[in-house]
Amino acid sequence: MDEFELLKKDWKKRETSLPKLSYEDIYAMILKKSSSNVKWIFIISFAEMLIGLPLLFYTPDETEHLNYLFIDILTYASYPICIYFVYRFYKNYKKISATSSVRGLIDSIIRARKTVKHYIIFNLSIMFVISVYASVATYIEESGGWTAYKQLSAPTDHLVLIALTILATLLIIGLAIGFYLLLYGFLLRRLHKNYKELKKIEV
Amino acid sequence: MDKDLEQRFISQLEKHQNIVHKVCRIYTSGQDEHSDLFQEITIQLWKAFPNFRGDAKFSTWMYRVALNTAITLYRKSKRSVRGDSHEYVLNNLKYHEYNDEEEQQLKLMYDAIKQLSDVEKALIFLFLEDKSYREISETMGITEVNARVKMNRIKSKLRTILNP
Repeated sequence: MDEFELLKKDWKKRETSLPKLSYEDIYAMILKKSSSNVKWIFIISFAEMLIGLPLLFYTPDETEHLNYLFIDILTYASYPICIYFVYRFYKNYKKISATSSVRGLIDSIIRARKTVKHYIIFNLSIMFVISVYASVATYIEESGGWTAYKQLSAPTDHLVLIALTILATLLIIGLAIGFYLLLYGFLLRRLHKNYKELKKIEV
Repeated sequence: MDKDLEQRFISQLEKHQNIVHKVCRIYTSGQDEHSDLFQEITIQLWKAFPNFRGDAKFSTWMYRVALNTAITLYRKSKRSVRGDSHEYVLNNLKYHEYNDEEEQQLKLMYDAIKQLSDVEKALIFLFLEDKSYREISETMGITEVNARVKMNRIKSKLRTILNP
């Protein structure tokens, strides 16, 4: 027999040993779009970190004299935690790329969404603390320092201070929430949609 | 509507998945690469499915998209040359039905195919699939004459690799 005919015959015979994927397996593969969402979460958080890094070491001239030691400590301390989150995002991405089972994908999506939520909550709490502290500290500084404020302030001053603090904090947190919703909200919603689809085929 | 499209696509692919597996077998060595390429092809098929008008047979269309993916997309991203190629292809089936000499020859031939270019692999793959020259020309987007000429060249190239 011709060598190529022999090869053809053998090739045909090997069909029996081909892998066999189920409907669900293929469906999960299409839904693997999830992995690209998780990849974007990682990329965005990484970019956020890169942009945040120079800001950390930069203090505007106007605030130089205020010298908020507390805020410095807080931001420096929070940085390793941010790096840890970026690392987690990376792990999530790696993990979701490696799974193909429906159950595995569901778990990965839940984990990815949870990490993003924790990350956002963490960032918002840091911003909350900084904003409250900075508002109070700036106000007191502008009124001539802590001792002067204590001696001269009337009860209305306290009210103004509290109102200003709440206003500034609301503004900053509001902006931050808008920012995060824009950045991550879209990806989270898509992940959630995939999750619901997967849930349907699992039962 | 979208749901319906999805269901139709998956059922069709499930039915014809052998085609994709065989393309993976020609182009990859190792289980991981096989799954990788399978997934890549599935995604490309799914992306192209809305444009599949049904004037060609689904399987013919699959051959085309799968081979195009293997040739163009997969090549660029990742390809590691590993030494386990023939073990991977050959391990799946024991050669009870062949005598030693034939077994040895087949082994060498699969190894020789691995040395071909991506386009040549596509052509020899279609030959192994027992496709007519008309079908090959349709799938590859070349003329029938060209397909015939190319196939003969590939065969003699394989012969040269086998008997240097």
